[in-house]
Amino acid sequence: MAVETQQGGAVGQSVRKVDGPSLVAGKPLFTLDLDIPGSLVGAILPSPHAHARIVSVDTSAAEQVPGVRAILHHGNVPRVPYTTAGQGWPEPSPYDTVLFDTKVRFVGDRVAAVAAETEDAAAEALARIRVEYELLPPILSPEEALAPGAPIIHDEPDAEGIYDASHNIAAAVDIPIGDAAAALAAAPVTAEATCEIPYSQHATIEPHCVIAYFDDAGRLVVRTSTQVPFHVRRIVARVVGLDPARIRVVKPRIGGGFGSKQEVLLEPVAALLALRTGRPVRMAYTRQEVFVASRTRHPMKVTVRLGATKDGALHALEMDVLSNTGAYGAHALTVLSNVGSKTLPLYNKAPHVHFHGRAVYTNLPVAGAYRGYGATQGYFALEVAMDKLAEKLGLDPVELRRRNYIRVGETSPIFEKIGEGREGTAQIVRSCALEECLRIGAERIGWREKRGQRREEGPWVHGLGMACAMQGSGITGVDMAAATLVMQDDGSFRLLVGATDLGTGSDTILAQIAAQELGVPVDRVLVYSSDTDFTPFDTGAYASSTTYVSGNAVLRAASDVRAQILDVAAAALGERASALELAAGVVRSRKSGKSLTLSEIGHRATYVTDQRQIAATASFACPESPPPFAAFFCEVAVDRETGVVRVERFVVAADCGVAIHPQAAEGQLEGAVLQGIGHALCEEMLFSPRGRCLNAGFFDYKIPSSLDAPAIEAILVPSEEPTGPWGAKSISEVGINGPLPAISNAIYDAVGARMVRAPFTPERVRFALGVIP
Amino acid sequence: MRLTGIRRFHFARDAEEALSLLAAYDGGAALLAGGVDLLRSPRGDIEGVIDITRIGLSYVRESRGGLAIGATTTLTEILASAAAPAYAGGLLASALSQVAAPPLRNMATLGGALVSAHPWADIPTVLVALGAEVRWQGEKVGKAPVEELYGTAFRGLFRRAVALEVVLPPWEGAFAHEKISRTRYDIALLNACCGLGLDGEEIRWARVAVGARPNRGERLPWAEEALIGRKPGGELWNEVQRLVESRVEVGDDRRAGAAWRRRTAGVLVRRALARAAQRGET
Amino acid sequence: MKLSFELNGIEHYLDVEPGEPLLSLLRRLGMKSVKEGCGTGDCGACTVLLDGRAVRSCLMVAPQVQGKRVMTLDGLGTVNDPHPLQEAFLECGAVQCGFCTPGMILVAYELLTRTSDPTPDDVRNAIAGNLCRCTGYVKIVDAVLRAAEWKREGRWR
Repeated sequence: MAVETQQGGAVGQSVRKVDGPSLVAGKPLFTLDLDIPGSLVGAILPSPHAHARIVSVDTSAAEQVPGVRAILHHGNVPRVPYTTAGQGWPEPSPYDTVLFDTKVRFVGDRVAAVAAETEDAAAEALARIRVEYELLPPILSPEEALAPGAPIIHDEPDAEGIYDASHNIAAAVDIPIGDAAAALAAAPVTAEATCEIPYSQHATIEPHCVIAYFDDAGRLVVRTSTQVPFHVRRIVARVVGLDPARIRVVKPRIGGGFGSKQEVLLEPVAALLALRTGRPVRMAYTRQEVFVASRTRHPMKVTVRLGATKDGALHALEMDVLSNTGAYGAHALTVLSNVGSKTLPLYNKAPHVHFHGRAVYTNLPVAGAYRGYGATQGYFALEVAMDKLAEKLGLDPVELRRRNYIRVGETSPIFEKIGEGREGTAQIVRSCALEECLRIGAERIGWREKRGQRREEGPWVHGLGMACAMQGSGITGVDMAAATLVMQDDGSFRLLVGATDLGTGSDTILAQIAAQELGVPVDRVLVYSSDTDFTPFDTGAYASSTTYVSGNAVLRAASDVRAQILDVAAAALGERASALELAAGVVRSRKSGKSLTLSEIGHRATYVTDQRQIAATASFACPESPPPFAAFFCEVAVDRETGVVRVERFVVAADCGVAIHPQAAEGQLEGAVLQGIGHALCEEMLFSPRGRCLNAGFFDYKIPSSLDAPAIEAILVPSEEPTGPWGAKSISEVGINGPLPAISNAIYDAVGARMVRAPFTPERVRFALGVIP
Repeated sequence: MRLTGIRRFHFARDAEEALSLLAAYDGGAALLAGGVDLLRSPRGDIEGVIDITRIGLSYVRESRGGLAIGATTTLTEILASAAAPAYAGGLLASALSQVAAPPLRNMATLGGALVSAHPWADIPTVLVALGAEVRWQGEKVGKAPVEELYGTAFRGLFRRAVALEVVLPPWEGAFAHEKISRTRYDIALLNACCGLGLDGEEIRWARVAVGARPNRGERLPWAEEALIGRKPGGELWNEVQRLVESRVEVGDDRRAGAAWRRRTAGVLVRRALARAAQRGET
Repeated sequence: MKLSFELNGIEHYLDVEPGEPLLSLLRRLGMKSVKEGCGTGDCGACTVLLDGRAVRSCLMVAPQVQGKRVMTLDGLGTVNDPHPLQEAFLECGAVQCGFCTPGMILVAYELLTRTSDPTPDDVRNAIAGNLCRCTGYVKIVDAVLRAAEWKREGRWR
């Protein structure tokens, strides 16, 4: 492997996280930990109705509340259609949102905002804003939205990019390859599954928050908990009508993202309140607001039909998707596209494939990007259908996957047909260790010995299930990352990256990638990231992009800097650069044995001879998106009498290429798997018949605690991705795609009930087991 | 964070002072012990708060074979007490360790749980099953079985009275508690607490309570009657399971449906009976 | 009203609004390690130790700590001189975003002040009131067990 030929020793080692010491010491690193004197508090008035026109807004009583400094609503804010989805340009999500509209489209939609001296004054002012609504019939399911004569949720004339507003269809995709219907009809063996995922929440422990203030030059600084600082800058500038050059966006440490902070929500409101008042403004969602007014996973119903030969070769694959994007179309098209584009290539042998889907509007909270990004929904149906197919074929589910998954050197037409809101990019798979993942995972869980045994322990019956998944590493033709690497006069380095560390450890990993090339320990590379004034561009932390896309940019910058270092050393030593090697902080001549330390080189270039700044800026645009692969195995126990499901063990074996930081990579898998287990067992947002969320908080929306987490065993199975930095691919998302189908399949193995609607609550499982009187 | 609306805070020196402060506020004040319920969703009409954690009501004592537990004793203190583990076949240890996460158990008090009496809570079901009695001080000192109290407008009573002590009677036999929740320290989707006393081959007394139905825990006297005088064992437990399924009053809420609750109530009662019988033997 | 209490070993005498949440007071006093994740006591990000016991500072008002000892993560160790428990979190990779970390370390600290030999289940139980959405808890449990090991080896101060 490439790593072994390098001498830096940084890559592949679980070095101490660069921001770790200050995080464990509880330093004030997060957005709201900064006290800016004179700050106002911003707050938002939510809509109490799921669907209504605003007849009038009367702020006169609210203005009288002592301490109120500004009130925003549709009457005093320019109308600029935009999308809250923080994506690259051209933005693939429809421009169906304005800051404050004359219509509200879900309970929790933004009606007005205030800035006041205290939280109490802000709350008081909100309570005194009088809004007259004309109620409209709400649409609370995708089926209702598509029904003939359904009310039109987006009837505003200035929206752009909606697929079919008059039928409430935000986005639609139809990709036929070959003739799947005919092939299915002719297939010797078929299997079908329809699986449903409800509204669920990222539940980052830090709520969305922002501080907007003015720097000493009068420029607007937006300090925000975001995954996409550069998109925030671009979108805020457009929405509030400010020259982007007057805006600096800073992302400090942030308390989790998982996609929910790939969304530009509070930033333009805080910016506008700051502009109107000339004062710093702090805003934070309450936990309840995070649930209803940030973003959710797209609830979906996905049907998969498989046709295979008798020996288990897939011949036809059909996937039909109905996605609920909620009141606005943030990520509607791209999440929908990914349901197919990140799943169907996994089984690339089928000549006939049909992917068809619609994302429709409803008067419910807005869905958006959530780890897995549609693939999670797709794999639930695909991998349950594969389990059914294996059963029909009398084939071990592992063996069925083996006969069909994509190999190195192979491609899938899907790569080219489905991209992110446009056509994709043809690519071949250059690295894949799924075979090993399957072997190791099966061995570790005891697949041969335990599956199909239905071992009983009182009312508990045990079963085993498995699933496979892949994802991507960045978005081809869209993502671009840049890095600037500077050598200091003491021979240490500064690495400036636009990349956004959400807690994933990307600051550390990027430092490792540079350190490896520079032959220095990681602590010689100081990382500064995610500041639009001081770091080069990066599309942001989403689509599993940072290690691969940003990492490649860093590697390019580092290799440029390395060459400059060798040039300086060559001149100093009077030798050819090609005779020099750089390792352990020393440049040494293979010929003469003479050497110079990096600190001597830094000193020489800065102060002595041929003075110059050793530095480089490099960028990387994502030409292909190498998929990471994973095999998931789990053991569950089902209480036949109550329907309670316990996940006893969960094994995930994943191929992320070379793991730059194995501990961080394992952590990504473990966390993703537990979120997936939450989806499978307990997470679901519930709504009243009028569209109000009934469990908007951790009291009644349960995410797994340490006592609910099974023993999760994350195994990294190495491959080497030739296009990746030091052989690396992504890891952050793929782990969430497996738990839903693996657990569903394990429940089937245990008790013979097919769970196709998440979460698999005691009630649903008990019902599936047989009639309840 | 917003202020809570609380304008004045008092540490009561004793129950009398707490009462006179309560009276002085005329409904505008609340007693504060653990604070979990009071501060989770502060009532807008509360101006004064009277802290009663420093008036000597935090204790667990053995009392005539049973237990007397001060109202402001935290769940953690009960679990850590010398007397609790042995009581009623270890019921308190097993039931309370399933209630809320440790940091909340460090705050939540037995009196608070009794007075809040959330329908989804485990403690009311346990107290009702145990035949617990509560002593309070209002205009005068009062006492009543918790079960009886829950049949009255008890919330009004505790706006004008200080819960002093919960008395758990002695039981010769054992209890067991069963609970189903979405995550381990979640509120109950359904719970059951059952106790049995054996006299040789015969059940001498039985207590059966089911809670979070979604209504608050209540005893099922007909299930108890069906047990008394009978021979303990799997057959009887199955019979009672079927009886509970056919007669228990259950309903729907957003957390679970009536059909599942009906079926599962029978299962939980059967399991609790079996475990109580097992504990009673050892 | 007047309030006196001990915060991370230092006596404080100050004036507070009786209805101010303890969480808000502590942050106002510069203890930014105390985080607000939910405001309803469900997530544990605001955990502090009150006379050595983990409590939710969002479910307390400031006057409740009158005469008591409050410890926040700020009182445990520093960036340059971390407590072994903080070291263990670093070494085991128990920190991802770090937002739950202060509360998590404090509940672990409470556990390890009472026992030096916890089982993995003891650890899972002790931290179960503190939600983490990043890690799956695997490495957090590892870290607490490692810190316990260090404590048994006499490496705690």
